[in-house]
Amino acid sequence: MSLAKWTVGLMAGMSMLAFAAQANAGEVRVTVAEYSAKTGPYFDSVKKEFEAANPGITVKFEVVPWDVLLQKLTTDITAGTNADLSIIGTRWLIDFVQQGVAEPLDSYITPDFKGRFIDTFLSPSIMEGKTYGLPIAASARAMYYNKELFEKAGIANPPANWTELQEDARKIKALGSGTFGFGLQGKEIETDVYYYYAMWSYGTEILNKDGTSGLGTPGALEAAKLYKSMIDEGLTEPGVTSNNREDVQNLFKQGKVGMMITAPFLSNQIKDEAPNLKYGVAAIPAGPTGARGTYGVTDSIIMFKNSKNKDEAWKLLDFLFTKEQRAKFTQGEGFLPVNKEEAKMDYYVNNADLAAFTALLPDARFAPIIPGWEEVAQITSDAMQKIYLGGDPEAGLKDAAAKANAVLKK
Amino acid sequence: MQNRFLPYLLTLPSLFLAAVVIFWPVWDLIQISTHDVNRFGQLRELNDFANFSALAADPDFIAALWRTGQWTVLVVGGALLLSIPVAMILNTDFYGRGIARVIIMLPWAVSLTMTAVVWRWALSGESGMLNSALIGLGLIDHNIQWLASAETAFPMQVLIGILVTVPFTTTIFLGGLSSIPDDLYEAAALEGATPLQQFREITFPLLKPFINIAIVLNTIYVFNSFPIIWVMTQGGPANSTDILVTHLYKLAFRIGKLGEASAVSLVMFAILLVFTMIYVRLAMREQRA
Repeated sequence: MSLAKWTVGLMAGMSMLAFAAQANAGEVRVTVAEYSAKTGPYFDSVKKEFEAANPGITVKFEVVPWDVLLQKLTTDITAGTNADLSIIGTRWLIDFVQQGVAEPLDSYITPDFKGRFIDTFLSPSIMEGKTYGLPIAASARAMYYNKELFEKAGIANPPANWTELQEDARKIKALGSGTFGFGLQGKEIETDVYYYYAMWSYGTEILNKDGTSGLGTPGALEAAKLYKSMIDEGLTEPGVTSNNREDVQNLFKQGKVGMMITAPFLSNQIKDEAPNLKYGVAAIPAGPTGARGTYGVTDSIIMFKNSKNKDEAWKLLDFLFTKEQRAKFTQGEGFLPVNKEEAKMDYYVNNADLAAFTALLPDARFAPIIPGWEEVAQITSDAMQKIYLGGDPEAGLKDAAAKANAVLKK
Repeated sequence: MQNRFLPYLLTLPSLFLAAVVIFWPVWDLIQISTHDVNRFGQLRELNDFANFSALAADPDFIAALWRTGQWTVLVVGGALLLSIPVAMILNTDFYGRGIARVIIMLPWAVSLTMTAVVWRWALSGESGMLNSALIGLGLIDHNIQWLASAETAFPMQVLIGILVTVPFTTTIFLGGLSSIPDDLYEAAALEGATPLQQFREITFPLLKPFINIAIVLNTIYVFNSFPIIWVMTQGGPANSTDILVTHLYKLAFRIGKLGEASAVSLVMFAILLVFTMIYVRLAMREQRA
């Protein structure tokens, strides 16, 4: 009697499991990064619109903060519980491709679909001739400057090169009352990138032509000396190594910093948080030879090889990369358009801030596509922090170059 | 006959549970740390303990190991020294004792990460509360960049570590103090013992088992504590405030060296295991004597 009861219970449980598995058949799970408070609501609306247009397919978005995205993906993939699609930093893509985790998308991509993209942004996701990801977010960096401080200090135009930038910073410092000339980031993510802006101006690349680290070159040393001299002279905010990108941006929003280099999303933040701030966006200063560089970043959305719903997942991708969806997402987050048709919209064409960013795109460098890139970036950040804290630039860079080369050789 | 096996049989379910929760992850860690492993945790071949020798050759690991020792000793010691008098005061009867107890316990109710975030703001160089307070009091005349270098960041992290460890430690001591019968003190007072003598001869010896348990539990907890240091400095600048667990996190999830990270994790496990065994042995021997 009681045994029979157990059996019935067990059967009922099993059939429910089976039912649950079936309900999963048309489900597409997507891990997305939370770029701002607008990310979650945007994907909620995508879910509604897409499911209404595609009956039978359900979409599940998992919104994850940027800082823990890689950690989540690592543990999910290790456990085999990863989603069908995920947003990743394009600089991680090579690891995903080499470990056979990412599915090439070429069998789905029609020439018409490919034609939607601006090539500059699609090309970082192409490896060994195959397209492994689609650029969901694109960004570059330019220099923000505070027009009010410039006016007070009697400076007419934003600096064209680093020598002018130093002079302008001196004038802004002379205003006193807690204003700093140049906001220098020295903590957490992209500390290394903030140094590359100067390094590229001195004609040094992250990797030399022979694949070794550029940190050992004279240009890298000049750039490090430039930043260090500005810190020593008090032209930057004090306590550089305690300020991450958001901290420097906050100082800029408070009107305390004359110039800083950052991404287009600062414009959106200023609109919301400091609407009265008068600012302009200009090119990143050039070096003595006129060389300059900005940092281009894309995030890609990839399909996992072990996904069981690839066709449904592709339908969702196709939907995400329509002009309307792209415009909604890009404008909300303050990114750059990756879609050709989207870029022609009035919103972008008439936007002076964004124009300054797109003008810099020919000078854009993307993170090099090499395994171990994160470690090289970490080595560079650590070396910069030591120099910013008063360490000797020459010894610090030599040491960092040796460490980076050891990683690059593997 | 049956009775001899019964106790083992009865402990079997909990042993099984412990095996699933503790032994299985440790076994997994041993697997990962002794193999060549890719960044998604997929094992390749055995690699002759290369992960462990890489650690031994890594100056950042050695520095973090040494700093973890300082961090643990300072936080546990500081919390202990502070908690004994706090518990003794809270154990006496005074007006408003209930409120005082709540205030002492309050940091415990706030999540550690949140505490660390609030302190990060408070210690911010240009807009932090601490700097404005100190300037307002006339103690300093220019902003101190607390988190810009390890010389100021690490001591502040230790202080915050102490602050959040005090509530738990005080709770243990309060339990201990309430178990000491009052007539001991009355008798001692009658014999003319000063308060200091009462503390040395009655309170401290009777509190000792509680101090021992506080040391063991706090050491394990503080040694593994991640949020304070991670939120405030991420172990930086230039790894100068890293402890083992933040070093481990960077190795695993920034750089993707899961093998080395697992090795760090095992080293930490071994250190804590050895410490706990030695300490419990010593403490028990003392009690028996």
